[in-house]
Amino acid sequence: MAAVDTDILEEPVTESGKGYWSGVGARLMRDPVTLICMAVILLLILSAIFAPYLGLADPYKGSMIARLKPIGTPGHILGTDEQGRDMLVRLIYGGRLTLFIGLTPVVLAFFIGGTLGIVAGYAGGWVNTVIMRTVDVFFAFPSVLLAIAISGALGAGIVNSLVSLTIVFIPPITRVSEAVTSGVRALDYIDAARASGANALTVIRVHVIGNVLSPIFVYATSLTSVCMILAAGLSFLGIGVRPPEPEWGLMLNTLRSAIYVNPWLSALPGMMIFVTSLCLNLLSDGVRSAMNVRD
Amino acid sequence: MRHFKEGIAALLLAASLTCAQGAAAQGTLRIGMTASDIPLTTGQTDQGGEGMRFMGYTVYDSLIEWDLTSADKPSVLIPGLATEWSVDAEDKTKWTLKLREGVTFHDGSPFTAADAVWNFDKLLVDTSEQYDSRQAAQGKSRIPAVASYSAVDDYTLEIITKTPDATLPYQLAWILMSSKANWEALDKDWEKVANTPSGTGPWKLEAFVPRERAELVPNEAYWDETRIPKLDKMVLIPLPEPNARAAALLSGQVDWIEAPAPDTIPAMTGNGFTISSNAYPHNWTWHLSRLEGSPWNDIRVRKAANLAIDREGMGALLGGLMVPAKGFLPPSSQWFGEPTFEVKYDPEAAKALLAEAGYSVENPLKVKALISPSGSGQMLPLPMNEYLQQSLAEVGIEVEFMVVEWNQMINLWRAGAADAAVEGAMSINFTYFIQDPFTGLIRHLSCDLIAPNGTNWGHYCDPEMQALFDEIKTTFDPEEQDKVLRKTHEKYVDDALFLMVTHDVAPRALSPKVKGFVQAQNWYQNFSSITME
Amino acid sequence: MFSYFLRRVILMLPVAFGVSVICFLLVQIAPGDPLTAIMPVDATADEQAAMRAIYGLDKPLPVQYAIWIGNLAQGDMGKSIATGRPVAGEVFGAVQNSLLLAASAAVIAFPIGIFLGFLAGYFRDTLLDRAVTAISIAGVSVPNYWLGIVLVIIFSVNLGWLPSMGAGPGGSQDWSWDWLHIRHLVLPAVTLAVVPIGIVARTVRALAGDLLTQDFVLALYAKGMSRGDVLRHVARNAAATALSVMGLQLGYLLGGSILIETVFNWPGSGFLLSNAIFQRDLPLLQGTILVLALFFVGMNLIVDVAQAAIDPRIKRS
Repeated sequence: MAAVDTDILEEPVTESGKGYWSGVGARLMRDPVTLICMAVILLLILSAIFAPYLGLADPYKGSMIARLKPIGTPGHILGTDEQGRDMLVRLIYGGRLTLFIGLTPVVLAFFIGGTLGIVAGYAGGWVNTVIMRTVDVFFAFPSVLLAIAISGALGAGIVNSLVSLTIVFIPPITRVSEAVTSGVRALDYIDAARASGANALTVIRVHVIGNVLSPIFVYATSLTSVCMILAAGLSFLGIGVRPPEPEWGLMLNTLRSAIYVNPWLSALPGMMIFVTSLCLNLLSDGVRSAMNVRD
Repeated sequence: MRHFKEGIAALLLAASLTCAQGAAAQGTLRIGMTASDIPLTTGQTDQGGEGMRFMGYTVYDSLIEWDLTSADKPSVLIPGLATEWSVDAEDKTKWTLKLREGVTFHDGSPFTAADAVWNFDKLLVDTSEQYDSRQAAQGKSRIPAVASYSAVDDYTLEIITKTPDATLPYQLAWILMSSKANWEALDKDWEKVANTPSGTGPWKLEAFVPRERAELVPNEAYWDETRIPKLDKMVLIPLPEPNARAAALLSGQVDWIEAPAPDTIPAMTGNGFTISSNAYPHNWTWHLSRLEGSPWNDIRVRKAANLAIDREGMGALLGGLMVPAKGFLPPSSQWFGEPTFEVKYDPEAAKALLAEAGYSVENPLKVKALISPSGSGQMLPLPMNEYLQQSLAEVGIEVEFMVVEWNQMINLWRAGAADAAVEGAMSINFTYFIQDPFTGLIRHLSCDLIAPNGTNWGHYCDPEMQALFDEIKTTFDPEEQDKVLRKTHEKYVDDALFLMVTHDVAPRALSPKVKGFVQAQNWYQNFSSITME
Repeated sequence: MFSYFLRRVILMLPVAFGVSVICFLLVQIAPGDPLTAIMPVDATADEQAAMRAIYGLDKPLPVQYAIWIGNLAQGDMGKSIATGRPVAGEVFGAVQNSLLLAASAAVIAFPIGIFLGFLAGYFRDTLLDRAVTAISIAGVSVPNYWLGIVLVIIFSVNLGWLPSMGAGPGGSQDWSWDWLHIRHLVLPAVTLAVVPIGIVARTVRALAGDLLTQDFVLALYAKGMSRGDVLRHVARNAAATALSVMGLQLGYLLGGSILIETVFNWPGSGFLLSNAIFQRDLPLLQGTILVLALFFVGMNLIVDVAQAAIDPRIKRS
């Protein structure tokens, strides 16, 4: 499983402003791979949001007679699962939960870790020591191990998965945002602002946030694919989402026994995880290079 | 990491070699179990029925055993280390057992009545030197009737029960005899015994790697010549994951797997593997709450639910590997009897009964049911319960599920229907080991076993039923006792006391090389007759 | 050098302490009764209470922690609830098997990753570069537990070339380096190697690309150095960073093999951990995580020191 790697950012991005962002936009428009990935992710997100309004079959209701129908069955384009539920519908609804559990922890960790890192980086001193040494402890656990340990102890469930994955991703984001903030803090004009007696919160809000947010954001996006694979992995192990909820990792798990009957069918949920995580990675790379972040 | 440098070289070298299948030694049977660990090897096994099957009745014997030779009829009790047993004509709490002479443990020491007493102390007397909490945890609850025991002479054992209890022989069939001499030779340390245990059984444990494998070899000196194993070796491998089990069988790493997942069966039969199955005393039911206010107190509702389920239709889900329930015990059971209520699929009759009770599809009865997505012996709990939910909805019973983890389910089962943690659920989907009178009938509905003090989850208490239970315990003639048992089961069915759904058939997938296996109608099996081609 | 090492070790101590606290807390947040899984379902309340006392689960939390940490100091990690065997023995046996798997995966992944990354970095912006980039992105994006299943279908079930589970015909205890055993290692090691191939290739590509475009390389060329000499020079400069990435990857391989070990029934720490989770065997869960985390801490230390040894500039930062 991919590592949470904090070494990608060596220097803070200091450009910002309107011109910069329109430049980023223009560069993105010239990058077909990133655009395609963006379209795929957008499609997944939209179908996840609007799944209930698409007039699809019930993702929970199956038929014992129509179990494990192959891909291409009339009425079930992608076949049916081990309980005779339509695979296409299950995959669409599955994207809902998979993306939700895969992306939410990064968003939460972005806010929590970002705040912690900015506070630590800006305040320095003992505040920095307390926060960063605590973060160091969590770094002693490989991410997969930590996620499985917490989820394993808490037991299966959507909330438990979110909690454990958020805890996993707070430390790396905190570390990056602390590094970026420390870098920015050392810049002359911040020094000047502090020297002028400005309130710390104001300085953070006006000068620091603008400069550190985009690198932290870029870093966070690079974590989404890892987080999604990990979230699906928890469900695959049986300590994530509980059946009968549709979720790709869990579907991969429950369809494993159908591997001998219908291997292609049982490979579908894994395929979806792969494609989504590939798109997330390519998208994050594309955005990063459009923003001129060194990698 | 022992020889790392050579390792890398060997790895590269080996990668270029041709891929040859490792040929297994002649006469070795490798079995993939569903347990995640080798069952406790010291005597009283853990890991439930599978533990007793593979590490219990293989390495050890009990005083009284199950007859595992026939596939056609339900198994009955036969002499084991005791050759005969009887209850005192005057004092119905006093039992005398004659022990088999000339039996030796694998370490060569003889088996005597003193060894039997020593083994009972191992489980029941926590001040005794040989008390083993792990074995006690498994064995103590199996012999609730036993009050005391003593060796009258080398080959006569006397057991006193707390109250007259004719089910004692069935209880004794649980208790396995380990060697005292071996335990003493190994510094009286059960952890050491675990690696080199000694019993009197047809198999000897030769090698044991925790969580990975156990190797059993024949005990050529076994007291029952017909049960001296023909194989050279039997290897037990824990493979809890159904898919890994199937892959191991199909790729030739094991010759036999327990409980193949239904979906993998076509691939196995297509590749020449055989599926062995047989009825055995297992059931898959909803244990109903009989607390005040439970809708299941109405016999019309109970019967309607039992008539609403198309059990044959459920067979498709299980690859046909099931016996549709006709009662609480499997139809082939010696205690099935002749109940008048026929458990079958008749939705019209079900609707009529519900209409009498005041419910219909438009105005359904709402019930809350406790289920778990997994669990030992639970077959395919989620799909099966969803199937029930659909079937019941069609006649006017609307089911809401409360889904909990298996471990939590066990706790809720122990706690009983009245416990707050059950959150008002009116039934629990729990599968039962129903091999003997106590586990099969008494424990579920006896007034003195109401949860949490016992295993009567639903708080059912009925004087007529209680009288039958008392009669079972006080009828010492086995044939007469069987009659009472049949009468009891008839009441189970006629009163529709459970939602009776199906019985498992203990499927196992065997390589075509495995010959001579006879699957008994029992949780345990005899491996001695097997040979490998 | 030695003082640097000492400083790192001292910095490590509070981390190790924090790790022990987290491992202990892990068990406290776990709901449910760990004894449920091992008692027969019919066990009475008294029998359960007796069992609880034996495992010390009836004592107050701080006392349990004190006992745990005290025993830990003596190398005693308690007894597994499910098996009754000492946790330490179980964990170390399993970690050894995991190390074998992780190291094998590293042996496969690092050379391939470095080679691919170097190719891509050296021939930057060519078709080759794009191909390698595609491979490495696919590598980090693939859910390897799924890949493992696919490989089992192809190579075990359909082709029958390689076994699908276990660590050899006789279990892990008689592991030896012959084909009979190694064939068991192939599929899990290859599966596990896929992600680090991607990561290492990506890192090396970036390093090599950057170094080759940097001024001092141009200067080297200007000084008349041959292409080979320049490459060697570049490699040494990149080694420190590459080493740190690979060191961390080895740690991740060890911790991250849980899913793969489950797929292949490999008797390692991950397999042990997933058993511990499903049997709610908390002492075992605790012990396994503690050992893996401490191993990772140690790995980080080694990486730091090795990095400093290669590139003395690092010591100053």
